[in-house]
Amino acid sequence: MSHAFDLTLLLLLTASALAAIRTKDLLGAVVIFSTYSLLLCLIWQHRGAPDVAMTEAAVGAGVTTVLFLVAIGKTVRRER
Amino acid sequence: MKRALTAALLVLLALPLLYAVAQLPPHGSASSPPYTHVSPRYLERGPVEAGAENVVTDVILNYRGFDTNGEVTVIFTALAAVLAVLLGVRKDAGPVAGEPRAMSPVSPVVSFVVRLLAPFVALFAIYVILNGHVSPGGGFQGGAIIGALVIVTTVIVGRSQAEALVPARARRLLQAAAPLTFVCIGIAGLLMFGDYLAFPRVADLAWLRTAWLIAIEMGIGVGGAAIIATIFWTMGDE
Repeated sequence: MSHAFDLTLLLLLTASALAAIRTKDLLGAVVIFSTYSLLLCLIWQHRGAPDVAMTEAAVGAGVTTVLFLVAIGKTVRRER
Repeated sequence: MKRALTAALLVLLALPLLYAVAQLPPHGSASSPPYTHVSPRYLERGPVEAGAENVVTDVILNYRGFDTNGEVTVIFTALAAVLAVLLGVRKDAGPVAGEPRAMSPVSPVVSFVVRLLAPFVALFAIYVILNGHVSPGGGFQGGAIIGALVIVTTVIVGRSQAEALVPARARRLLQAAAPLTFVCIGIAGLLMFGDYLAFPRVADLAWLRTAWLIAIEMGIGVGGAAIIATIFWTMGDE
């Protein structure tokens, strides 16, 4: 049961990582990337590392996303 | 010729590295030294020896305090690099590089929710920092939460108002809070117990040990939050 949960999360994680790379719309890619961080946060928590999970949620899903958004706001939204 | 030389050098570098890797115990092997000596020692004696019930905090701040000291210095250096790059670019572009971009108005729903939740988020962040030696969390986590809170607050009230909350003179000091606290505690350990970053080990001084742990957590939290906020504010500049 526990393994099935981990496996599902890992599959979703891989899928979101690939989607983030393949998306040409950078805004979309950033949103997918923050999903990736949230999934990774769940994995950390489930593997018994709440300290890392908290950091992942705050930095990975929160701060990094915002910094990416600011960077997109100052450049272009489409990948060339 | 140059390419052949480069390849030869790379091979020469790779061989000893690969040899060293081949000598490592197999990944996950239960008989490798970290699992036979290091981890059990941390888990069994961490709370007694290092002073924090949260073993992660024991390892980060006490057993491997040197690593963390270097780590916060790296983060501070990263801020310095970011500021050097961003501020340098702005100077080159000149003051009339472009019209200031009009901020799109914030939705009242977002504004209301942020205003409603902000005090609780702040309280949670302080709890995470101050309670980091007992429960999961600590300076890095709490600092990141405060940094995120500063970012959403800036989005709601605007940069000038948010920045006014931090006195201009204290800013540099706050950004350097983490390495400064670490070095202060390190030197205190040097003076009192003869080693840089030495923590009190006798039971009588357990209160001092806890106080130092909390002081470092607070330094890391404040410094981390200030660094995140500064990077965000500087990026949003122009």
